[in-house]
Order: sequence, then structure tokens, then C-alpha cells
Amino acid sequence: MLRFALTRIALAVPTLLIVAVSVFLLIRLIPGDPALLMLGDMADPHSLADFRRSHGLDQPLPVQFALWLGNLAAGDLGRSITTGQEVLPLIFDRFLVSATIVVVAVALASLVAVPAGMLAAWRQNSLTDLAVVAGATLLLSVPSFWLGLLLLLLFGMKLGWLPVVGYVPFGQDFGAALAYIVLPVATLVLVEVGVIARMARASTLEVLRLDYVTHARAKGLSELAVMGRHVFWNAFAPTWTLIGLILGNLLGGIAVVETVFTIPGLGRLLVDAIFARDYPVIQGCLLFIAGVYIVVNLVVDLLYPVFDPRVTA
Amino acid sequence: MRRTVFFGLAVALVAGAACGPAKAAGDDTVRVSLNADIRSTTPGTNRDDNTDAVVLHVVEGLVAYRENGSVGPLLAESVEISPDGKTYTFHLRSGVKFHNGATMTADDVLWSWNRYMDPATEWRCLSEFDGRGRAKVEAIEAPDPQTVVVRLDAPNALFLSTLARPDCGMTGILHKDSVAADGSWIGPVGTGPYMLADWRRGEAITLRRFADYASLPGDADGFTGGKSPKVETVEFLVIPDASAAKAALVSGAIDLVPDISPADREELKDNPDIEIVAAETMGLNAILFQTRDPLMGNQKLRQAIAASLDTAQIVHAVTDGNSVPNNSVVPTASAYYTDVQRQGFTYDPARAQALLQEAGYAGEKIVMLTNNRYQSSFNTAVFAQAMMQAVGINVELEVLEWGTQLDRYSSGNYQMMAFPYSARLDPSLSFESMMGNKDEQPRKVWEDPEALELLARSMVVTDDAERQKIFDELHRRLIDQVPMIMLFNGSDLAAFNSRIEGYRPWAASKPRLWTVSIAG
Amino acid sequence: MTRTWFGLPASPGALLGGLLIGVLLLAAGLGMVWTPYDPLAIDFRARLQPPGPEHWLGTDEFGRDVFSRALAGASTSVSISLFTVAAATVAGMLIGLAAGYLRGWTDRIVVSITDALLAFPGILLALGLLAVLGANKYGIILALALAYTPSVVRVVRSNVFSLRETGFVEASRVMGNGELFTMARHVLPNCIAPVTVLATGMFGWVLLSESALSFLGLGVPPPAPTWGNMLAASRPYMSQAPWLGIYPGLCIALTLLGINLLGDAVRDRLDPRMRRI
Repeated sequence: MLRFALTRIALAVPTLLIVAVSVFLLIRLIPGDPALLMLGDMADPHSLADFRRSHGLDQPLPVQFALWLGNLAAGDLGRSITTGQEVLPLIFDRFLVSATIVVVAVALASLVAVPAGMLAAWRQNSLTDLAVVAGATLLLSVPSFWLGLLLLLLFGMKLGWLPVVGYVPFGQDFGAALAYIVLPVATLVLVEVGVIARMARASTLEVLRLDYVTHARAKGLSELAVMGRHVFWNAFAPTWTLIGLILGNLLGGIAVVETVFTIPGLGRLLVDAIFARDYPVIQGCLLFIAGVYIVVNLVVDLLYPVFDPRVTA
Repeated sequence: MRRTVFFGLAVALVAGAACGPAKAAGDDTVRVSLNADIRSTTPGTNRDDNTDAVVLHVVEGLVAYRENGSVGPLLAESVEISPDGKTYTFHLRSGVKFHNGATMTADDVLWSWNRYMDPATEWRCLSEFDGRGRAKVEAIEAPDPQTVVVRLDAPNALFLSTLARPDCGMTGILHKDSVAADGSWIGPVGTGPYMLADWRRGEAITLRRFADYASLPGDADGFTGGKSPKVETVEFLVIPDASAAKAALVSGAIDLVPDISPADREELKDNPDIEIVAAETMGLNAILFQTRDPLMGNQKLRQAIAASLDTAQIVHAVTDGNSVPNNSVVPTASAYYTDVQRQGFTYDPARAQALLQEAGYAGEKIVMLTNNRYQSSFNTAVFAQAMMQAVGINVELEVLEWGTQLDRYSSGNYQMMAFPYSARLDPSLSFESMMGNKDEQPRKVWEDPEALELLARSMVVTDDAERQKIFDELHRRLIDQVPMIMLFNGSDLAAFNSRIEGYRPWAASKPRLWTVSIAG
Repeated sequence: MTRTWFGLPASPGALLGGLLIGVLLLAAGLGMVWTPYDPLAIDFRARLQPPGPEHWLGTDEFGRDVFSRALAGASTSVSISLFTVAAATVAGMLIGLAAGYLRGWTDRIVVSITDALLAFPGILLALGLLAVLGANKYGIILALALAYTPSVVRVVRSNVFSLRETGFVEASRVMGNGELFTMARHVLPNCIAPVTVLATGMFGWVLLSESALSFLGLGVPPPAPTWGNMLAASRPYMSQAPWLGIYPGLCIALTLLGINLLGDAVRDRLDPRMRRI
């Protein structure tokens, strides 16, 4: 198990390195100049030159890359060009916001969707099944940002029940924080419920067909015992993998929902940094997101045997 | 089952919202939205428009802009200019106090100036005064505690207006306690009507009233005039999204949005609790031509395009009637905006077609660049395209991301583009933003040598009537040569709720909270 | 989902899906040749009009007819999705086959690169490529195809690996057939089913991604309409003119629904493991 984990971590290093190099090169291929964007149309050649010099943008590319890589090895991701803030704490701050929303949303979605999917499989072809499948497929088909806008329109503006602006950290004011994240969380929950419920249903159906379930039933065990003891854990394993994938993907993909609800999360930070050509922030964010993606996948794989007795690592 | 869970959740959270941020009745705080966090608290260093707006509540300069773009004294009582135009004598006001209680003297001015001129400060306007740009300050001295004398190497009509520029941090006078012993920045100890109380990055900036503020008499006029603070606390809340800011205003979470969009005005104008006030700004929203392009170098073709555009209708549609059409580089709010500047381009499709013939235009494709960041640039391009197509000009739009368009602007690599210039408060600076030699600076738009000479003269001559004549002549030439089609200056639409009163937007697009008081 | 629901010959889901996709394709085809109004024609006097007999779905901030734009947008959105899926599938199959067939270093390099691409938010890839290629339809197709190719590579590669060891591939080799012939004759056809299942799903994701990109300001540049950029442009008018956002969003949602329903049917037929008893 430990060896498996270590090998996986070692294998992640070249992947991260490819990400680092390609990010560095790709963002510099994009037309646009952070100095120009900072100084705007007021930029005269002198202030541009001053700005480039003070941010090290006048150095040749290989030198810039070597410097960045060297600092990276020392755990320093540099400072943002636009705000002058250190990149690493900035990313952590924003990550905490995004992670709160993503984890709460995926947890809630799983709590609803996994039982619903299993129930549907257990009662295959019943009305319950039909309702779950239809509902899940419908939810799966709704674009998250559209749903977000509709929720905002309804609860935020027409009914005025919920705040529509920004984000309050939980440490500051718990009640307010809850009120602020309900709409973004609800949006993500509604969208992810569809995916997870379908997966849970499909994997449960597959397990239900297996011989040992038939055996268990033949032995006269109650349906509840069969479902709880034999079916649940086996059917949950593939769903668990999917939940892991969703967690990893959402961090990169949450920018849209963050835009709709103006949440200062990691996705929004990245998109804004791209528009401002804030190279250190873009590089830091992407490396961080790639790292999180790899770690989440690793954790999912390591926990897989816990859920699926058929696999041992 | 799913439904019950969500319903329960919603109820719980609505209950949470109700006990969220609540406002006490006698609350002496005004909350203002800011569309991005400030970059620093240092005047003129690591700054943007929002930074200037906040910092200029805290620090003040010797001179400051009035509402019509002229410059008046602020911390100085008066300014004398020697007959040769090279020596400026600032007589300081007495009894002006810094936020730490110290009285401002000529020594503080010298200390502040020397700090700005130190390259380590990274002052944005350093190159304006160290000889690389227009002016060179040869000496600055303080013959007595109430007097500061500045000597320039040559006469310069823009010396005071450059000192007063918001992006230079108004060359704000600071107390030495603003920096630590090692020269690092602590926070602004200025003379402004508000003191910086707190800055939570990405969230909010809190300002507190400076009780000992030494105000000039009279009403507020731009950044000068009477500036006594009336409200105890001003809170700038960072709300990057316009729709979110609008919603917060409607819900009462904030009191003031300094810059709503014309579309939002349509929506808010029927709300009895919301008041909307507009002011013309001094930005330039224009369509630029690359006069070195083989096709666009043809003056007749540019004249044809100008004649094909109903600029008044474009402006009306783009700004929802909130801005005045203006074909002149001199902003409508400027003291130099006169009847001459009102004579702009004439919309005449028949003449446009005749000019196209004369130009020998045979349907060559013209590409007009615009961006998807500034709604007004984008809408301008869409409307202009439709009108140009109507007279038979084959024009295509290319919509770029803002950073890419800035790159193309700065390298001069385009045929036409819809472009927004930020506000300059002196007409010389407005003209200078688009005039210059393209060999030296490819971003420049208009390089007629005679016009450049006129512009250079406008920066030296200090007599108002003389300058007016130069600006009039420049305007006539611009209308004739059409290096760019000026459309409008833009307007600031401020929306605020009935809880506050006295707020007025103005030409510099900078909110001023010292004019605001809480109603009733 | 099954062929026995309520005794109907085909599942009602598949029928509904087919119907929705049929309507979509019809609309896309129609949008290419005819729309009630010119989708780009500006009308100063008819800005932000609510839906009515003259403009069925209202007009936008330029006075353009929303229904005409939605029709024209259908063809753009559909063609972007189709081309992207085609490009990603073909490229993914070729690379996946090569990796699975050659193994060794080729495989290791392919795996590293696909892993890196999968760990890379598609947004940046798209913006980077769009900025380099110029903001247009083809840039988006290329960028999204690049983002979706790794998933195809993974599926094909793992299929090739497991197929290599199966009896009939072994048999073909024993019979003296060349490796390439074996691949083309026996391995490739067996990859078609899982790839088709993946491709149906991908069509929906691409449609979503294109809209999401527009929403973040990186999509097909206006004024040419796509559902995504119509939705994105509607945002400032959300409460003033809600129809601007509701209809394009509804178009996307209904299309996705059709694809998902049809995708289920395709998977039921092609993927034997998923076929119901």
C-alpha cells in the first residue's frame, strides 16, 4: 500500500513538470502584456520600462523560467503582478473558499443521490425508478451557470430571500456565511445529483446481477440485509471513484459558478489572472489545481480497496 | 425525498440569512461598492483607478483638479509663477494637520517630494519630473516653514496639472510616519478628510472621519473646495460583479454604487428608494484609424467613414441617452469646451458614397477591432459596422480579449478599432494621449507634424486664451484629417439609496464621500 | 431505458431523445439557410422587446430577433460540437492505438502527456489556443478537441491492452497475420463500441463547454450568435429582460436532455456490460 502510494507520487512528478513547462510557455504565447494591462492606455515608454524592470519582465524567457523554477523548489511561487500579494497564501485563501463550496455540495449531492440511485436499481422498472432516472437525466442536462442564474433571479432578486453578493467566511459570521453559500451550493448539488444518481443506479444494477447476491437471497436473507451487507459496499466503489473525479474536476471548473455568484474562489482568481496576464498567479493556480487533482485521484485509488473487497492494493 | 431535504435546507438557510449582517438604525456608516480591491495604500505607486479613489480620501496634494479640469490650490494657499515660467512658489496654508496631529510644514513637502523622486519608491509619475518626460525639476527648497519653491529647467504649462493628476496620487503630502525607519511603507498619514482605519484584502476598506480636518471654505469643487467629512465611517466593499452590486444596493446591503451601467439605470430608475445622478466624465470613447495602413492612410476614405456614421445616434444607443455626443478631443466638461468644439462630423450617407468614389474605394475588406470587456466599445463597433455597411463599406468586426486588443493598440497593428481612453483632465493631455510620432511610439494615432507642433506649444503656453486658440485649431484639423472619430466622453451614473444625500459624481470618475451625509 | 417499459417497443426515453435531437438538427439545418429575421440585423427602435407576435422570443439589446439568433446559434453550436467530437475521437483513437500497440516508451510518454492534460483546467488551454489562433470557431474546436482527446486516448489504450491478451487477437497473430492487420481487423473494431458511448456523452460536454467559455468571456466572439454567447450577453439584462437568458439556456438544456437520453439508448445497445437483462 505504502509502496503503491510512493510510486504514484513519483509518477506525478513528471506530470507536474510537464504542466509547469507548458503553462509557462503557453501563457507567454498569449498576446498581451501584463505591464500594458496594468498601466493601460496611460502607459508611456518610461513607466512601461520601469514597470517591466521592477517585475523582472525585462529578463530573457529562459532566465525568467529558471528563476521561477528555482523559487518553486524553495516553495516560493512569487508575487502577483497586479496586487503584489504573495501567490501561495493568496491561492490558499481562495482555495479554502472554493473547497468549502465544492466539498459541501458534493457531500450533500452524494447523500441524496447514492441512496436514490440504489433505491431505483433495487426497484428497477418501477415508478420510483422511472422518477429517479427521469429526474437525474433532467438535472444532468441543465447547464450549471444557467441554473445558477435562474436561482439567483428567483431567490435573490424576485423573492429577495437570499443575498446575492459575494461570500462571508464561516469563521467570521456563521449564519451569514451559510446564507451566502446556499445558492452556489444548491446549484452544484442539483447538477451533480444527476451524475451521481445515475452512476449509483448503474453500479447497483450490475452488482444485483452477480451470483452471490442471488445466493444471499436464496439463503433467505431479508432484502434489507442483502442490500446493506452485500450490495451497498460493492456498488459504492465505482460511485466513489466518480465522486473523486467530480471533486478534482470541479476545482478547475467552478469558475463559472463563482462568476455567477461572485465568489472570490480559486476559479475566479485564475480567470481574472488570465485576463490580467498575471503570470505568477496563473502559473501558481494551475500547478496547484493540477496537484490537487493528482492528490485527490491518489486518495480515491488508495481508498478504493476499503470499499471494494474484490480489489487489494 | 430529495425535495424535502432541499426544502429543509432552504428554510434553515433563509433563517440564517435573516440574522445575517443587520444595520442598526442610528448607523453612522456609508457603504460603497468598489468593483475591484485596491492595490495598495501608497499614493501614486502600485495603483489603479480604485486605489486612487480610496487613497485620495486620505491624502491631499498642494494643488488639485476642479470640476472643469482646471487646477486650484488645496494644501497651498496660493501659487506664484515667475514671469519666465520656470519658478513656482507655493505658499502653504497654515494650521493644516496630519492624521497623527502634527502640523504640516514646508519640511513635510520637501520630505514627501524627495521620497517620490527616489526611484526606489517606484512613483508612477517619476519620469514626468526627472527630465525623461516633459519637465525637469532642477531644485526644490523651503525658504521658510510656509513656503516651497520649485525651479524647472524650462517653462511648462502642465507642471501643476501633472502634480494634481489622480494617478500620480495627487503628489500627496505625507508625514514621515507613513514609512518605517528602513523606508518600507506602513500606511498613509496624510491630511485628507478621512483616515485609513482598516483594509481586509479582497473584502473591504474602512475609512474614519478625521475630526481635525482643515477644510477650505465653500462647496466641494472636484478634489478641492470644502471637504469637511460628515459621515463617521465610510466602508468600501469589494464587489467585482456589476449585477451583484446592483442587487446589494436594492437590498440595502450597500448605500452607493458609484458606476452603474446604462442598462442598470433603466432597471433602477423606477425604484422609489434609489436615486440616480449622472455626470459627464473626461474619458475618450473613440474609433481609431491606423493612418499608416495602406488602405486607411487614405484621408478621403476616413472622411467617407466619418460621414457614414450618425455619431449622435450611436452615442444615444450605446449610452442609452446618458452621454452627450462629442466629436472633439476636448471633453464636454472641460473649461475649454466651446462652440468650436461643438462643430463635429456631419452625418451624410450621400456624401459618404461620393467620398468613397473619390477615394477609389473598391470594396476592400476593412477589419475593425473591438473587445468584449468594455460593453461601450463593443456596442460602438456593432452599431458603427451596421452604418458603414449601409453605405457600402465592407467592414468586418474582430472581437478580441482586452489584453490582446491593448497589445494591438500599443503596437499600432490594426486598421480600425473602437477604443476607450481613460480620463485626462487637461485638454493637452487628452490630445497627447492620441498624438505623437509613430516611429517613436507606435500606439500614437495622429502624427500630423503641424498638429504636433501646436500640441507642443499648448504645453508651454500658460495663457488660457492662447491655449484655447490652439485647441480650436487642433479640433478643426482633427475633423478634417479624421485620424480618429471621437464619439463621447462617457458618463458616471451613480446610484444610491435614500438613506444618504449629497453625493455627486464628477468628471474625474472618482467617488467623493466627503460630500455625503446621512439623511434625516 | 429497457425495451420492455410499459410494453412499448422502444423506451420512451430514447424516443423523446430522438425527437429532441431531430428537432435540434432540423433547427440547425434551417438556421443555416433561413431565419425569420437577419440574426445580425440591428434595429435601433426595437431594443429589448419582450416576446410577442412580431418577435416570438423577443429582441436583444441591439434590437436583434432572439428567435432568429437562436436558430442561427443552433447551427453554430451543433457544428462546433460535431467537429470537436470528431476531431477528439479520431485523434484519440490513433494515439490510443499507437500507445497500446507500441507500448514501452511511446506509451509512457503518451500517458504522461494525457495525465498532464487531464490535470489541466480546460479554460486555460482554450484561452491560450484561442489567443494564439485568433478568436474564432476553429480555435474553439481545436482547443476543446485538445481538451477532450485525452479521455478518448485513455479508453482506447486500456481497451487495446486488454484486447491484446484475448484469444482471438492471439489467434490472428498465430495465423501469421501482421501486427498492423491484426490491429485494423480485430482490435480497432472492438474499440468502436466504448468510443461511441464516450463520444455521445462528449457531444453534450462540448456543447456545455462552449457555452461555459462564452460565459467566461472566451467563447465564439459576438456578434455571430451561439447559445453560449447569447446567454452570456444576457447577464446584465437578467431582471430587465429575462427572456434573453431563459431561451438560449432552455435550448442548451433541451439539447443536452436529448443527447443524454439518446446516449443511454446507444449505450444500452453497444455496451454489453450495461445492457439490461
